[in-house]
Amino acid sequence: MEHKNFEVMTGNKACAWGVKLSRVQVASIYPVTPQTTIGEYIAEFIAKGELNCELVNAEGELSTQAIVKAASRVGARTFVCTSGPGQLYMHHPMHGTSSGRLPVVMATVHRGNKGMQPDHTDLMSQLWTGWIQWYCENNQEVLDSVIMAYRTAEDKRVRLPIAIGYDGYILSYTSEPVEIPDQAMVDEFLPPYEPIPNILPDKWAEAQTRRGAGMMGDFMSGGADPQAAWRIHHEAILNSKGVIKEVNEEFGKRFGRKYGNGLVEEYRTDDAEAVIVAMGTIASTARVAIDRMRSEGKPVGLVKLKTFVPFPTEDFQELGKRTRAIGMIDRNVCLGLGGAGFGELRRALYDLEERPRILGFYAGLAGAEVRVRDIEKMAEKTLKAARGEKVEPIIEWAKLGGGE
Amino acid sequence: MSERITIKQIPLEELVITPGSACQGCGAALAARLAFKALGPNTIRHSIPACPDNVTRTPTSGGEFEAGGDHVTGTWRALKALGREDVQVVGFYGDGGVYDIGFQSISGAAIRNENVFIICKNNEAYMNTGGQVSGATPQLAMTTTTPVGPMSRGKPNSRKNTPMIFAMHGVPYVATASVAFPTDLIAKIQYGKGIKGFKFLDILSPCPTGWRFEPNKTIEVARLAVQTGFWPLYEIIDGRKFRLTYKPRELKPVAEYLKLQGRFRHLTEEEIKEIQRDITDYWERLLKLDEIGEILL
Ligand code: SF4
Repeated sequence: MEHKNFEVMTGNKACAWGVKLSRVQVASIYPVTPQTTIGEYIAEFIAKGELNCELVNAEGELSTQAIVKAASRVGARTFVCTSGPGQLYMHHPMHGTSSGRLPVVMATVHRGNKGMQPDHTDLMSQLWTGWIQWYCENNQEVLDSVIMAYRTAEDKRVRLPIAIGYDGYILSYTSEPVEIPDQAMVDEFLPPYEPIPNILPDKWAEAQTRRGAGMMGDFMSGGADPQAAWRIHHEAILNSKGVIKEVNEEFGKRFGRKYGNGLVEEYRTDDAEAVIVAMGTIASTARVAIDRMRSEGKPVGLVKLKTFVPFPTEDFQELGKRTRAIGMIDRNVCLGLGGAGFGELRRALYDLEERPRILGFYAGLAGAEVRVRDIEKMAEKTLKAARGEKVEPIIEWAKLGGGE
Repeated sequence: MSERITIKQIPLEELVITPGSACQGCGAALAARLAFKALGPNTIRHSIPACPDNVTRTPTSGGEFEAGGDHVTGTWRALKALGREDVQVVGFYGDGGVYDIGFQSISGAAIRNENVFIICKNNEAYMNTGGQVSGATPQLAMTTTTPVGPMSRGKPNSRKNTPMIFAMHGVPYVATASVAFPTDLIAKIQYGKGIKGFKFLDILSPCPTGWRFEPNKTIEVARLAVQTGFWPLYEIIDGRKFRLTYKPRELKPVAEYLKLQGRFRHLTEEEIKEIQRDITDYWERLLKLDEIGEILL
């Protein structure tokens, strides 16, 4: 059997390992809890001579994003990370990174907007910035996702930045055994990054003739149509689904692990009458709940939603045809509108001839604990809905932390 | 310290886009023409919203108004990572992006001593958006957001002394320049170009549109700013060594400078006297620094 290198490490260290194995050339950091130690680990790798990377200790998150954007444009592989309020501060340059079609990879260590504890509102509040968004369940997935993200982001068919979200504290500061992939194998999987266009002075003339005159924004321009930049960007994100699936498959072949089809991972859904959908660490808890209910003969399944942008509409439509009810667990709320997952799911399934019922659950916001029993209750309710029973309300704030 | 050059030593190569987007007599367009002659083509120019904006034929990158210091930082670090340290990184920004909204990011780049050149085309207001007050606007100047009326005398407070603030970051090179003194301007860029680390050059760039004077008077206005002590020309090395690069035996009265411009038309004799007092006082302090050759801080 081939030798595998395991280490018990926190999510933030796993993330830093992903950065190291991906041979990131420019990283920019600014401390914000619970993300801070990623930068510390990267700084340590550099200090020990294990990673050859320009590390910029910037003066704020707006700056960290603008720095990697500029560095990526010149042709360096770049990494940036943030959390909660830092993510919000970064909003403006995030638009420029994606509009410039720059393959920056960012880790968002989730921290909600109403305290230090995690929920997905930080990254969800960036839904309109034109980034691909992945949500991770455990530390191994964090490390692997960083590597897969560069491969995806730099693919000529994609050329978009990717944000990798993982729950603060639950993963960032919690240690788990993580397999560290072999550097040579990563190098084979992840070729060096080539910028398009190249803005070095000796390549500039060539870049100009290929792209037309002017600034990098022209990458997006569509001539006289003022809406073209939006349309091209939107379609590029939608079209990335195929590449995400491909990269996930190939990662699986080479490293022996993959994450569903790259967009969603289905668990015991084949003959499920009802399915719940979970993201991030809640997916782990949900898996246990599903197993328990299955052992009691209850036909329930789970979909772990990994790629939120682009939304796996087709996967859910296919699932919607063979299940009667879906319960979406949202660890976020767009105030006054609702859970992002719930809204997207309904949008995705509305056009089905026979659509399943869709229930919504708010859970785990501001770090509220989500236990197996809580998820069982959500799944029970979804199963009732699947069997035609009246359930109310359709969307609820899950009662959490036991109490019954 | 920079070395004197003659007009004949100004490089012939033109790197600006002509005709550009500038008004007639634009001091900032002239600043770009002179500066990039000295910088040469092996340069990546960064731009942020500024007036005029699309000025040179060099490779151009840039983005957010508030992030000028970060754009040059990221570019420089990437060049370093790629082994292309031969390429110069220049942020050619307006006073809004340098003095106000982008101050934090440029301060960050300065304190990290990034190998970049920040050049401020200082037209003393937000000319891109129609002439609103900025941190570089002089006291009592009329702008569209500091109008003159029964309750207002123009800008109530003084200019931010940004060159000195950057000097106090301890960076290798800080200097001021004027488009009316092209050899001084070019010598300073040529000197800065040879230094590794953070360089800052603040070029007073008169704006006929915003300052309200005839476009054929740009050089006259720019020259008077220096000759009256309103815009002293100096350079500072390592936040310490100081030298005035233009030192007339006597300054001309500041009124000569102010009276050419519509933005100061409302000033009373008393107000002009007050400005004169401030200018003379500051000039005398600079003369002392020049004498000892050092900033004692
Ligand atoms: S408004 Fe002023 S700074 Fe802008 S182009 Fe015209 S003269 Fe130049």
